[in-house]
Amino acid sequence: MTMSTEPEKTNMPEVSPTQLRFLTPGMCRIHLGTHEALHVTVRNERIYGGVYAAHAFPVAHPDEYISLLHTGADEEMEIGIIRNLNEFPEDDAALVRQALARRYFVHVIILIRDVGWKYGFINMQVDTDKGPIDFLMPWRHDRAFDYGRRGKVLIDVDENRYLIPDLDRLSLRELNAFQRYIYW
Amino acid sequence: MADSRSELLNRPVPDDLAVLARGEGVDPRQAWLSAETDLNLAGGYEQVFLLVEDDRLLTLARPGGRWARPVRVQLARSAVKEVRTRQGVGGGFLEVLVDGVYVEVLAFSNARADLFHKVCSKLKLWIGDRKPSVSREDDYNPRKCPKCGMTLEFKGDLCRRCINRGAVLSRIIRLMGPYAGWGILMLAILLASIGLLMIPPQLTKHLIDDVIEPAVKGTLTTDRAARDLMVLVVALIGILILRAICDSVNGRLSSYVGTQITTDMREAVLARLMRLSIDYYDRHSVGQLTSRAVNDTGAFNDLIRNVTGGYLAQILVVVITGVMLFSISWKLALWTLLPAPLVILASTFYWRRVYPRYFRVWDAWSRLWSSLSAILSGVRVVKAFGQEQREEDRFGRSNRYVRDSARRVEYATSLFNPAMGLIFSLGGPIVWYVGGLEVINNALLGNQEGLKLGGLMAFMAYLGMFYGPLAHMTTLTDWLTRLLTAAQRTFEVLDTSPQIVQADSAKTLTSPQGAIRFENVTFGYSRHEPVIKGVSFEVKPGEHIGVVGKSGSGKTTLINLLARFYDVDEGRVLIDGIDVRDLEMDDLRKTVGVVLQEPFLFRGTIYANVTYGRRDATPEEVLGASKASHAHKFIMRHSLGYDTYIGEQGAGLSGGEKQRISIARALLYNPKILILDEATSNIDTESEQLIQEALARVTAGRTTIAIAHRLSTLKNSDRVLVVDKGLIVEQGSHEELMALGGLYHRLVKIQTELSREPSVDALTILKK
Repeated sequence: MTMSTEPEKTNMPEVSPTQLRFLTPGMCRIHLGTHEALHVTVRNERIYGGVYAAHAFPVAHPDEYISLLHTGADEEMEIGIIRNLNEFPEDDAALVRQALARRYFVHVIILIRDVGWKYGFINMQVDTDKGPIDFLMPWRHDRAFDYGRRGKVLIDVDENRYLIPDLDRLSLRELNAFQRYIYW
Repeated sequence: MADSRSELLNRPVPDDLAVLARGEGVDPRQAWLSAETDLNLAGGYEQVFLLVEDDRLLTLARPGGRWARPVRVQLARSAVKEVRTRQGVGGGFLEVLVDGVYVEVLAFSNARADLFHKVCSKLKLWIGDRKPSVSREDDYNPRKCPKCGMTLEFKGDLCRRCINRGAVLSRIIRLMGPYAGWGILMLAILLASIGLLMIPPQLTKHLIDDVIEPAVKGTLTTDRAARDLMVLVVALIGILILRAICDSVNGRLSSYVGTQITTDMREAVLARLMRLSIDYYDRHSVGQLTSRAVNDTGAFNDLIRNVTGGYLAQILVVVITGVMLFSISWKLALWTLLPAPLVILASTFYWRRVYPRYFRVWDAWSRLWSSLSAILSGVRVVKAFGQEQREEDRFGRSNRYVRDSARRVEYATSLFNPAMGLIFSLGGPIVWYVGGLEVINNALLGNQEGLKLGGLMAFMAYLGMFYGPLAHMTTLTDWLTRLLTAAQRTFEVLDTSPQIVQADSAKTLTSPQGAIRFENVTFGYSRHEPVIKGVSFEVKPGEHIGVVGKSGSGKTTLINLLARFYDVDEGRVLIDGIDVRDLEMDDLRKTVGVVLQEPFLFRGTIYANVTYGRRDATPEEVLGASKASHAHKFIMRHSLGYDTYIGEQGAGLSGGEKQRISIARALLYNPKILILDEATSNIDTESEQLIQEALARVTAGRTTIAIAHRLSTLKNSDRVLVVDKGLIVEQGSHEELMALGGLYHRLVKIQTELSREPSVDALTILKK
């Protein structure tokens, strides 16, 4: 485990908040630092600790345009954007993917077992990539919104997220059961 | 004695894990805080515990995956400089600042977000060398139903799973309570009308069996037959006239009661909407609410009309004709019931498969309204950007959605209803066959007591009355569905609790002074993202305060909390030493006046708009306020002066003119505390100068809080609060803040470079 103390500072200017900067494998290295926190070392600039990753286009370009953000004691700043994660060394890319997996806690629905309705709630019984789950969601438009062209994201009463990546991949029975209530 | 330990913050560690922990030198019993999360730091479900002892914190879980040991994170208190929660997507993280880097201690799903916000606040005290208390009181979560534990939409909301909801239909009937007298009268007339309807077949039976047939057979004289025939015909005509009178009276009564109930419901819905908090409007579009207030309430009128002239009448006709059918021939009557099982099956199918499609239709209409409303409201933007075709396409999509969803329902019902009608009609031919045979047999056998031709004719007449309404009754489910859907949507509005309610023993503020105090105020619009974080400040009566900060820093939120458009999550907002939550709502509104960035004017005269907050203002006061706000001059340019009628949202007036009317309105309202929310940010420099002069008059002698992007508008301020990321980072006079060289200094520099002013020092700092 790499241990660093105060972020190493150089005389290089801070990243401009109004200018877009793309991070390339040649100019930076992504690694673990203090207490296994994600760090990014930008050549001739500084080491950024406590970094997290966020998709700019999670639906349209899931492996591209990934923003790396640094949250220091004062404020959050964007270190830069990775144009294509596949261009980075495998280890670096794996760390970014892990950071993304941590940030986006979403259940991917594999099978819809049953859908019911009562008093304004929809009761979904589904199998997800994280196991079988029954959840209640308010029957409202803002609780089931579009994900790309044919996907849907559902938000339950606790604001947990469930993703159906493509409605067309559901069986006719599942689709009918789903669209009987979530028709928008 | 009841256990005072918190169930959530003194969570017991399972025995097997405790054994593993002890092997690592950790005794879970030593922890003053023990909380359980549901995620690990790889983003997967796992039972992980956070244990906090006096001098260290650690996370504990069963070994597995990339973690070979039960203790996953361990940090000494002395190493932790700060604690925070960071929101992810669908969950969040508890993080601590160690060696200048924020380190993730644990992850949690949104189901546990409230718990770890609480843990975070405890840890903040812990790192500050203050031992926080943990007790059962910490388990209280106003966003959870105390009965079933389900997360509520907002604090204090009713749990829809637990409320005693009753059936929608019974509630509708209860709503009819005030009209019970009218209802009984309508029911009596309806019964009389149905009674009259039952008489003609009996007369027919009598006519055939006792008059025509004996006359044909020669057992009755022609004179007697003609006389009886005349009596029966006159009786028939009399009955028809009486029925017509009954139906006419009932039609009028139903119209009277139905329209009255609908009017009452619309007013009740609007009254509820007016009482609901601003956050309700954050969640619902104007189009959807309009549809509920206008369309859905119309269902109650429909109900009354159908009770008197429609379905209730038909149900009664079915029941009474059923009795008549059985009284004529129970064997024949049984044949008519053959289709009953098929009806039950078809109805079940309808409720399960067709019913939910109605929601889509209602939703489609709602969207169409919203879409059209947005296009028409924003028509200037549409034209300015040349997006007419795009909006036409957008509207086209909504319109086709209405078409398609309506077709889906109507295609289904157009198949269902005739199929049901066919099922019911099958009884007719059966009766002709079975009844015809019985009449022939009785005639051949000379059975005088059995069914005769007149009886069969009467039976067929009743059967027509029975099947007619029954065939129509197949649409009962259709109608009832629409009624229940509309009623339920209306009740949803009526059942929504206002988030902002007046305290039971609210205090009055008879002579407000205008002192304001924020005490450790924390607030967020969404559950897990505080916009204001532990803010404290004080404003003396009559003080002029400027509030500056970047967009999204929390300036307007401070004002929203002061005006109590929202309630704080933590801390207190006080006016003259009284928590705003304990104040009479009317007193609060009278004390705090707001001039918004986008002045909203209502359709009506200029006079009505100026006097919006004070309907009792005299013409002299209106003139004075308008003069002071520099509005009088342009108002008088209109040929109808103050009686000039202005359109929706002040159409026909410039931005500056609208703003000056809104300032006149505020001046007339005469609040002790005046809030100016970027009141001059959307207007030209000349108008701004006029408005600034007007504001100088308006604010004299009142506590004033002015939010401003243009720092020139703060030249009259005694003090400036600088807000950044939900905190007040600087405060002081302009000179003090400039000397400080902080965020305010930077903002002034930026603005000076952008403006024509040679320097911000050119701004005259006028003390009142």
